[in-house]
Amino acid sequence: MNTIVENLRQFWFFTGFANATWQNFAMILIGVVFITIAIKKGWEPLLLVPIGFGMIIGNIPMFPGLNIGVYEDGSVLNTLYQGVKQGWYPPLIFLGIGAMTDFSALISQPRLLLIGAAAQTGIFGAYLLALALGFDPNQAGAIGIIGGADGPTAIFLSSKLAPDLMGAIAVSAYSYMALVPVIQRPIMLALTTKKERLMRMPAPRVVSQREKIVFPIVGFLLTAFIVPSGLPLLGMLFFGNLLKESGVTRRLAETARGPLIDVVTTLIGLTVGASTQADKFLTGASLKIFLLGLLSFVIATTVGVLFVKFWNLFLKGDRKINPLIGNAGVSAVPDSARVSEVVGREFDPGNHLLMHAMGPNVAGVIGSAVAAGILLGFLG
Amino acid sequence: MRRIRIIIAAVVSLLCGASLGAQNLTDLKIGEVLVDNTEGVTDDYGQRNGWIELFNTSSGTVKFGGCYLSDDLSDLKKYHIPTSDLSTKIGPRQSVVFYTSGKSFQGTYHTNFQLRRGTTVYLVSNDGRTVIDRIDIPADLPADHSVVRVPQGVKGMDFETRVSAKPTPGTYNGDVDAKSKSEVMGEKDPHGFVLTLIAVSVVFTALIILAIIFGWIGKMSRRLQSPSPKEARPRKVKGSRKAGEMTPEIAAAISMALSRESGGEVQAAIALALHDYLGGGIHDLESLVITIVPSAGGGWADKTQTFRQSPR
Repeated sequence: MNTIVENLRQFWFFTGFANATWQNFAMILIGVVFITIAIKKGWEPLLLVPIGFGMIIGNIPMFPGLNIGVYEDGSVLNTLYQGVKQGWYPPLIFLGIGAMTDFSALISQPRLLLIGAAAQTGIFGAYLLALALGFDPNQAGAIGIIGGADGPTAIFLSSKLAPDLMGAIAVSAYSYMALVPVIQRPIMLALTTKKERLMRMPAPRVVSQREKIVFPIVGFLLTAFIVPSGLPLLGMLFFGNLLKESGVTRRLAETARGPLIDVVTTLIGLTVGASTQADKFLTGASLKIFLLGLLSFVIATTVGVLFVKFWNLFLKGDRKINPLIGNAGVSAVPDSARVSEVVGREFDPGNHLLMHAMGPNVAGVIGSAVAAGILLGFLG
Repeated sequence: MRRIRIIIAAVVSLLCGASLGAQNLTDLKIGEVLVDNTEGVTDDYGQRNGWIELFNTSSGTVKFGGCYLSDDLSDLKKYHIPTSDLSTKIGPRQSVVFYTSGKSFQGTYHTNFQLRRGTTVYLVSNDGRTVIDRIDIPADLPADHSVVRVPQGVKGMDFETRVSAKPTPGTYNGDVDAKSKSEVMGEKDPHGFVLTLIAVSVVFTALIILAIIFGWIGKMSRRLQSPSPKEARPRKVKGSRKAGEMTPEIAAAISMALSRESGGEVQAAIALALHDYLGGGIHDLESLVITIVPSAGGGWADKTQTFRQSPR
């Protein structure tokens, strides 16, 4: 009888109930909220569902030493997590992004690249604020990249600069990317006049196939020579785009933008979610990171819109740019471009800004990868 | 056939280049040597011997099995590092220590000669002839002092040779108190303004250059494509309207009609496709984007409309 009781007692110590803390339940609740938002609201479901479920997995209370936790060497989760820790997943996602991105809008109006550059100030604004809040420069750099509104870039950089903060940074970046319509719209409305919102831009010109093929090669050479530390992201982004545009590697492009990116997105979301174990995630630093992440999105959107307004002072006639595409420099592709389209059509249902906004939007992807390379070069 | 030969040759030379790069013995350096060890590190047998430290200057692992160590130019093959020992490799920017005990039977990392002052230590390639690196030992080198090569410069690839009273066998020869880049930035730029200024400038510069280049490429491309007068004439659409004229209105009207039937995503995608089609089109055929293509056939009853797509 005693043996049975002793075994039952031992079994009890192995259960999640015996090892649970309130922090575990708090994180599981956050995971459930993520999944609910993704399903009910449809906000970034491809990311929030895996991250939310990953949070639940990572916060199941467990007896240490069973070799099943994400931070226990050799466990299944730990093995999958290596793609995040060593930075393999983000470049693979960039390969898929490159293979699915049409740079035509940007090639037809290369001047829109500057909006993408202006919006990167969100990264450095958050960097300055993070330093002011007492973070070390490497941590501040990793936090600042949230303003790039690019999940893979945020994971890549934080895995190199501040691995301890990666969970909070990744969750913050993806959360605010999901909230782009909520964050950006009021800022865009506050900073523009009705006249500016009604501004129409001429249709972009037709882009030849030759230009589309040259773009990834020249774009890669130029950006990689300036910022070699951004090589993994920039190389994969432009390589993926070359696969798409070359016209002779259709199968590879289809795989990169289809099954490959789906698999990697699933794994990155799940493992990043699982890495947010309560004891590592529920800290004061995480709260600060969430605040700074929000501010970085606000700064990026504000500067993007104001930059276009300032630029318009020097432009004439139909060269003027609708400031509603300024927000799209934040590289959350294609959400921020879609916000430009939706807000533009609120005031003029015939004013389609989507294709114009896609220019700064994809420029933002390049810009944030370049910014990540610079931060890595200086702080890595 | 000729093309295949060229491709094979290119692949072979690439592979050869890669293997040379991965196994580049020239990345090895003699990092530090100590002759008279009275108070320093002991070997596996508890003995104090002189030692030679090899350092891998590269960012890849280098296998050094098969190389030689010597203190005699006329006998460069004095001590042969066994190839059979799997531990004979050095990780990136790491080092290994050979004890110059004169007792090679004690293991791979014990040489068959003892170091003497006033001699030169040679690291020789596995061909037994090529000297990879050498280091001179001063005749007046004090006991427990080492001759050390300290990495210098931003890349740490230049080395300064000096005598040190604090030997560091098996560890990095640079300043052990060296600060990380982040710490240096924290001291030099505590508020982050300098880094911000530099980074924003670089991002803008990179994208401005890209914009200029692509503005120029676009102009060249349009010049190359300069259409014949017939092609240059705008495509007519129904109602004899010119291409591009009123297209946003048409697209918006259709999309508004569609919005009652379906969600905003579908509406946006169809409106975009219509906009592109009516305006002359900037899309080629691709997945994830709706692209409207003018029919190549003669009419609705044309047989080509019912053909299967040709395999690609």
